[in-house]
Formats: sequence, C-alpha cells, structure tokens
Amino acid sequence: MAKLLDKQRYKCALGAMQTVQAITRAIPILHSGPGCAQKLSDGTGSSGYFSPNIFPCTSINEKDVVFGGVKKLHSTIENALKVIDADLYVVLTGCIPEIVGDDSEEVVSQFDKAEQLESFENEGGDPDKFVYKPVIYASTAGFKGNNYKGHEQIIDAIIGQYLKKSDKRQKGLVNIWADVPYQDLFWLGNIREIEKLLSEIGLTPNSIFGYNRGLDNIDKIAQAEFNLIVSPWVCLKNMKKMEKKLGIPYLHYPTLPIGAYETSKFLREIGKFAGIEQEKTEKVIKEHEDYYYYLIERYADLFLENRVINKEFSVVADAQYALGITKFLANDLGLIPAKQFITDDTPKEFRENIKDEFKKLNYNLQADVEFETDSYKIHNEIKAHDYHGYPLILGSYYEKELSEKLKGNYLNISWPVQDKVVFDDFYAGYTGGIRLIEDIYTVAVQRFN
Amino acid sequence: MSEIRQIAIYGKGGIGKSTTTQNLTAGLCEHGKKVMVVGCDPKADSTRLLLGGLAQKTVLDTIREEGEDISLDRIMKEGYGGTKCVESGGPEPGVGCAGRGIITSINMLENLGAYTDDLDYVFYDVLGDVVCGGFAMPIREGKAKEIYIVASGEMMALYAANNISKGIKRYAKAGGVRLGGIICNSRNVDREMDLLRAFSRELGTKLLYFVPRDNVVQHAEIHKKTVIEYKPDSNQAQEYRNLAQAVIDNKDFVIPTPMTQERLEEILMEYGMMDLADDYKI
Repeated sequence: MAKLLDKQRYKCALGAMQTVQAITRAIPILHSGPGCAQKLSDGTGSSGYFSPNIFPCTSINEKDVVFGGVKKLHSTIENALKVIDADLYVVLTGCIPEIVGDDSEEVVSQFDKAEQLESFENEGGDPDKFVYKPVIYASTAGFKGNNYKGHEQIIDAIIGQYLKKSDKRQKGLVNIWADVPYQDLFWLGNIREIEKLLSEIGLTPNSIFGYNRGLDNIDKIAQAEFNLIVSPWVCLKNMKKMEKKLGIPYLHYPTLPIGAYETSKFLREIGKFAGIEQEKTEKVIKEHEDYYYYLIERYADLFLENRVINKEFSVVADAQYALGITKFLANDLGLIPAKQFITDDTPKEFRENIKDEFKKLNYNLQADVEFETDSYKIHNEIKAHDYHGYPLILGSYYEKELSEKLKGNYLNISWPVQDKVVFDDFYAGYTGGIRLIEDIYTVAVQRFN
Repeated sequence: MSEIRQIAIYGKGGIGKSTTTQNLTAGLCEHGKKVMVVGCDPKADSTRLLLGGLAQKTVLDTIREEGEDISLDRIMKEGYGGTKCVESGGPEPGVGCAGRGIITSINMLENLGAYTDDLDYVFYDVLGDVVCGGFAMPIREGKAKEIYIVASGEMMALYAANNISKGIKRYAKAGGVRLGGIICNSRNVDREMDLLRAFSRELGTKLLYFVPRDNVVQHAEIHKKTVIEYKPDSNQAQEYRNLAQAVIDNKDFVIPTPMTQERLEEILMEYGMMDLADDYKI
C-alpha cells in the first residue's frame, strides 16, 4: 500500500541549487528536466545577479534519456563558462540523468584547470591571461533525499573537489556553518548575527553565503582554526570530512542560540573552545545581557498582564528551529512546551541526540518531540492536545488555517512561508531573541484590536 | 479482416529467440501470412536472417542522426517472403537507457502507421530477460497480447523463463497479456522434453512445440538465411513449418503461475538435471 505524505516541508535534493545561489557569484548548472528548477525556485528574494530563471539547464528530454545526456551536459557547461560571468560553477544532477546513469562526474572532470588552460591555449589565448573558472559536481537526484541533504552535497562537493589542505592557519579564523539558505527564511540575518557575536569575542568569522561573501571566503576555509557548526545535524558530515581532509577540527553546537540564555551559553562554549580569555567573553556577554534584560523588564507588564499568550506552545519546524525556539520559549520566556514536531526528515542516526537536547531545558522542563513529516498527523496531534487556552503555534504556513480553527496564536517561522517578507531579519542571538518576542507579542496584541 | 496477432518472444539470452522467431516467421510466410518483426534488442540482430544480413538501420540510430521527423521507409525494410523488418536498436553500450529506447521506438512505429491492416502477425523479439520496465513495453499497454517463451532443458533457461512469467503475470490483469506456451529450442539435454512438459504444466501452460537440435540451423545462419529459405527440403525446415502451424492453431492463452525457486529446483531434481549438470551433450 502506497504511503501518502501530506504537505511535506522540504523540497528534493536538487533544491540545493539555492545553496549555490546563496554563494555570491556562484551559479548552478542543472542537469535535469526543464521543469525542475521552475518548481524548486518558489522562494521570495531569489532574484538578483543570478536568478533561477537563468540557471543554465540541460533541459533533457526523451532523446537524452535513450542516448544519455552527457554530450548535452558537456555543451551546457562549455557554453555556461563562455556566457556567464561567475566565480564558481556547480553542476547539479536531477533524477533523470541519475536513473539513466549519465557519468556526470566524468564530464565535469573535463573542465578541470589543466583542461581549461589547454582549450584556452588552443583557441589562441595568452596563458598569462588565463582565468580558471572552477567547475564542481554535486549529485542531487531527488530520490536521494531532500534539500537538507542536497545542501550537504553542495558543501561536500566544495570540500571534496575544490578545497585543498592548507599549511597556513589563521589564528582565530572560524568557519561558520549554520542555516540552509532559502529553506530557512532568516538565513542571511542569522549568519550575520552569529558572525557579529564571534567578532565581539575576538574571533574572525568566515562564512560563504550572502552579500560580500563568495569564492574568497571559500578559499579561506582551509586556513581556519576551526569549524563552528550551529545545527542539530545538517552539515555534521561535512565537518567530519573537513576534519579528515583539511585537518580542521570542529565545534558542534546543536542549538541555534536564540535569546540571552542560550546565546550566553553559546559564547562561553565557543570562547572556551577557542581559548579566549574568560574575562573577555564575559564582558561581551554582560553588555548584551544588560541591554536584553533592560528590554525584558520594560515589557514585563506585557508578559504579566497579557492573557492571550498562554503557557503551552508547539513548534512545527526543522530540527534547527524546533530546538532553538523550544529552548528559547522555555528558558527565556518560561513557557511550557507541548509536543514539538521536527519536519525535516532527520536521518535516524541523529534522532536520539536531538531528543536528548529537548530534555535539557531549565526549570526541570522536558519537551516531548516527534519526528514527523506528515502534516495530517501533526495537525491531528495538535488538535487533540489541550493547550489550556489559546495554543501558541510557531510553524509553517500550513499551520495557519489550523491555528485559526483552534483560535490559536500563530507565527510563520518555517518553510513554506507565505505571509511575511524577510530581507535580513533574524532570530539568532540576543537581538534575535528580542525580535522573536516582538513577533509573538505583535500577534498577541493584534488579537483583540 | 481479423485483428493483428501481436506476439512477443522472450527467453534467456542466447537461447535462440531470434533464430526461432525468424524461422517461425518464414514458416508463417509460407502459410501466406503477412508478418512484421520488431527487434527489441540493442544488438539489433533480430532480422538478420530475414534480410540476408545486418543491413538494417535501427530506429534509434535513425532518430539519433536524423531527428524524429522521419518516414517509415527509413526504418522498415522488406525481408524474406515480404516480411516487414524493424530493428529498435539502442544507445551505445554503457550509456543512456535502452529500455526507454524500446518504448520510444514502438511509439514511433505506431505514430508512423507501421501497424497496417494487412498484417496478420507482429513479432517482438525482446532481449534476454525483462530487466526493466522498458523491455516489458511490448507486453504493456495491450501491444503484444500473446507471449511465447523460448527455453531449453538447461537450468538457467528455465530460471529465466520462470522470471519472465512473473513479468507476464504482473501485466496480465491490466494489459490483458497471456502466455501462449513454451517453445523448446532443444539443447539435447537428457529427458529434455519431459522436463519442459513438467515445467510448462507447473507454469499453467503447455509445451507448444519442441524444436529439435540440428546443425543446419547454424549453416543457414552463416549464410544469413532462415532454414526454410536455405534448405527448404530439410527436416528442420519442416519442424519450423510445424511450429508455425502450432502458433496458428494455438488457442490456449493463460496467466502463468510462476513457481518459487525451491519448486523450480525440485522439478529439476525430479528430472535428474541436477545430477547430470556436467553431462551436457551439445
């Protein structure tokens, strides 16, 4: 009997073309059917220097299935290099060529530095003026998994095919791996905020996504003192690969720090790992906390008097947000977690550790968490639960209608997002925590207006 | 005008499907039947004996080189006794999807109007095993309604025949395809006829015809001819005529009942195959 999956909250692995898009001046070259990119590029904020509408694509058809699509892939890469001014070209394969068995990796290898130089010279080019355009390959067939795994595949391709071990180590340089661009609405703001916090305690952050980042930052990766991964599971495999290949150790901080409690803990842990004087870290923490609690105190009356935000909440999001927000709402706002739902199809090997994280809440609280991709089942559980008042639901747009039916308070924080526009807003850090409180209480105060 | 009988021939690789199909076709021609043979094998050797050599350009080669806007006479050649011969062909070994190629070819034949009303029989000569959905194409969507499996007394041939039956059973409900019987292309294995009869019975079908082994078949192949054309007076030519008659007369079409591996091996044991495995006389 076929299993029905109702409204899943991710795309297929080829959706990781948006990870490439988030690297400034990097372009995906798609070896897929003509409809894939169109279907996968629904996010707002994805126009710009390269938008999905101009991603080079082999647009393979039946003929390419029968005879193989490698020739078309070759010519598509060749022409993309000619007409598109980019710093990095990433070939992503969709389902069809992978089922047919196209050896895309071999085609991509025909565009390595030596081959590019040779054809440049053959065309009469001056070798001194040769500019190498790196082309790498990521296997992102949809049947291999979702876009979280696709994101890992892109990072894996960069590590495996582009980066080389460096003898140089830059003291204090830290690579940051946190959110999945575009899948996470707040990716840009979150990464920038984490960078800012790291700078304040004296580290030099390095990330590859968003404005003013790109290939130069990718080039710096190999010189970093360590990798910082802020995610329950996404990219953990990449960290292990970098440790092995590039000799870069990593610090795994599974919780996206939102609000004062988690962010202070986060900074202390990084400071300790990086060997930063405790005094320095504590000074930064104190400054932030002073301001944070000043704001909280000013609005304490709102928290006390408002009868609309009830004690119990559910988060329906990927592991990153379910964990980060649950900890924040419990630890900082003193709310009580009802069941939390993780919707990113977390690989089984990581689930126990993630569950344990939900047990590490203040006030002896523990959150019950379920890994569930089926919205129908999630909604049934939410409907069946007694929230002792208006439920507070932080989830995707799929939870909007349900929340309305339950007369709940609802905030759209996870994909798909339909009711808000986010340029560079964020929930990470001290400021991010305040932003999240603002958003939640904005919903609350609007209720009877 | 009666409906075209569309027949797919399956069987283990190397068992003699193409040889049997073409000789059978020659036999049907002698009975005055109008036949089209569609080779569904990337090797494109299903019509060699009817055409007197591998003169055929395959459908897929033609599409590859000339695009899809082609006329029927570019891909269909006339062979022995007025038979219409088509080779589906396939991609280069190791690239592309040959199964999808078969689907493309058959669709193209339909679009070009190859299935004319004057045809009595269409044969699909399909490679070795039903390895994927593409090679099941002739029995899907109601194209070939009759299947014959070519087998011999060798274990692997029977194993393949049983597997193919699983494929037929899968498509029997929706597509209406039925197994018409087993054709034994003899390898002179001990008690071969008994074994094939027992095997066919177990599958719920019958041994349609037992084609004895005769070197004249090889001689005819070297001369790029069917036996009926090469030595019309030979015993073997008569065997193929009889096979043609058996196909014409056949009215027993069943949904096969494939057996488990254990049951298959039991039957083989019963007929002494397992003990005599090293004692083939070819």
